[in-house]
Amino acid sequence: MSDPDRRLTRRDFLRLGVLAPALPPLLSGALSACFKREKENAVNFFNWSAYIGKDTLPAFSRETGIKVNYDVYADEEEMFAKLRSGALGYDLIVPTDYLVPRLKAAMLIAPIPMEGLKNLHNIDKRFLHTPFDPQQEISVPYLWGTTGIGYNKKLVSKPPTSWRALWDEKYQGRICVLDSARECIGISLLLNGCDENTTSEKDFEAAKALLLKQKPLVKQYTSTTYVDSLVAGEAALAMAYSGDVLQAIKENPHLDYIIPQEGSFLWMDCLCLMRGAPHPEQALQLIDYLLRPEVSADISNTVRYGTPNASARSQIEPTLRHDPRCYPPSSVMSRLRYHTPPDSEAYSLWNETWSDVKAL
Amino acid sequence: MLAPASLWLLAFLILPVASLLILGFTHRGAFGACEWVFTWDNFRRAMDVKYLPIMLRTVSYAGTATLLCLLLGYPLAYFLSFQAGKRRDLFLVLLMIPFWTSCLVALYSWIIILGREGLISHLLMRLGIISKPASFLGTPAAVILGLVYFYLPFMVLPLYAALEKIPRTYVEAAHDLGAGKFEAFRKVTFPLSMPGVMAGVILTFVPCMGDFLSADFLGSPRTYLVGNLIQNQFLMVQDWQFGSALTSLIVLFLITGLWARHIFEEQGVFEGEGEE
Repeated sequence: MSDPDRRLTRRDFLRLGVLAPALPPLLSGALSACFKREKENAVNFFNWSAYIGKDTLPAFSRETGIKVNYDVYADEEEMFAKLRSGALGYDLIVPTDYLVPRLKAAMLIAPIPMEGLKNLHNIDKRFLHTPFDPQQEISVPYLWGTTGIGYNKKLVSKPPTSWRALWDEKYQGRICVLDSARECIGISLLLNGCDENTTSEKDFEAAKALLLKQKPLVKQYTSTTYVDSLVAGEAALAMAYSGDVLQAIKENPHLDYIIPQEGSFLWMDCLCLMRGAPHPEQALQLIDYLLRPEVSADISNTVRYGTPNASARSQIEPTLRHDPRCYPPSSVMSRLRYHTPPDSEAYSLWNETWSDVKAL
Repeated sequence: MLAPASLWLLAFLILPVASLLILGFTHRGAFGACEWVFTWDNFRRAMDVKYLPIMLRTVSYAGTATLLCLLLGYPLAYFLSFQAGKRRDLFLVLLMIPFWTSCLVALYSWIIILGREGLISHLLMRLGIISKPASFLGTPAAVILGLVYFYLPFMVLPLYAALEKIPRTYVEAAHDLGAGKFEAFRKVTFPLSMPGVMAGVILTFVPCMGDFLSADFLGSPRTYLVGNLIQNQFLMVQDWQFGSALTSLIVLFLITGLWARHIFEEQGVFEGEGEE
């Protein structure tokens, strides 16, 4: 009964036999292509998804003749896991502030020869010599943003002003929360009045209890799909990153974004050079290109995150430049701070706490 | 013949599982780096009672999905083997087609079907069963549906293979001896298909126990499974040691199950295998 099948298999084997002689040249071709990638006039750029201007990289290639091999990631911890497990060959990555010291400790990034960057002076002094890179030797600011609450105006009775809105039982099943130990535990510690530098188990237990109280209301822990949920009306409120919501507001004016009154976090995504980068010179050229005022302004106009480039500010679209949701006034800025880069022990506490919140 | 098979087993099963097991006994150093110091800590953490609810939830979802696969898959396999006739090959291909699409595409289409603006919500409104749009996402049923959708072929194919092996003369003999259609099925066909049922149940239950995509896309924070917990250790929190310990425990649990089945088999509970 299974005879027809058997004949088919045999025929397939014959077909394979015909193809087999063609395999070695194909394989060697592919292999040599892999090795050639190292020597070509190119730069291997590993960036957040949807985090660059539409014509930024093609324009760079047209001007310099350097090809950009562009890969993206949607989750930074996954990016870190990938790099740590040996995904080599990248020149340039875009980690967030708190990750920079960890990448440095893991010997994954190298000091950047800053003297080679003639456009570095464009960067606002406020964004240099930050807690995560006091010597300004290993990172170059790229874009910054804030963590706050995005919401669908049609689905909330009154605009949220406090983080407590994300604990409001009225919105049960319609709240999205970022899948991020850093943001969630950071905000819980803030609401509990604890110092973010704490390594006290008691503080983490309290933070965990607060998050577990929220859990029955949460629709999803997600860092990537919450904007879609807000747009579709599946979620009313979401813990959100400023630019993600501001991008969606352009098409969906019924969305809005606020920075809660209790204060929040700002963060800086930085350009970092990989240790052992195959094309360090081209990478440096690309960094310098991204520091040009007109390039930086175009990126900020596209992705709706803030540019740390002071000289670019005059070229930001006026509506965006004056939008307090993207560039908050100094009264709000004073309530924002960077996440403290955790040491190894604190890092374990943060991660185990967040892992348990999700699992329990 | 044994040597290539053993090499295959060594390279693709024993080495990966052994390295997971070893990793589970190492100490986690700074920021998730691996320190080659022996410790029981990871296994002790993995066996903490606080993870019991998530383990039980996983077993119950995987068990329900397997049962549903069996209930849906058996009639299908029976139809393919006994009734489909000439079009059988076509049906087998149709069965495999969902398998060729990327699982992410399949999951997104389920999100569209089950969502607030989705097909089911519209259908129920049209029928007057619900008055305003409802979302079916984020429920245990949605997660189990995802599991059944993905693993149904794993159930049907071994069932089909087992049913194919049954000599049709046995069924005819049963009829000759006065058994009705149902009785012939109950006393002859079904017992003879038991090896296929067993293989199908194992092939469905085992991957269901480790699945995380279904819960990730169709579930809510309240349908979190062991697969999600393990994935989280490897990709998000850089705790490969704890993830390895959890994985090893699941593998141990499944091996125990398979071993128990082997014992039953030795005792001849599943006769009919190898008779032809």
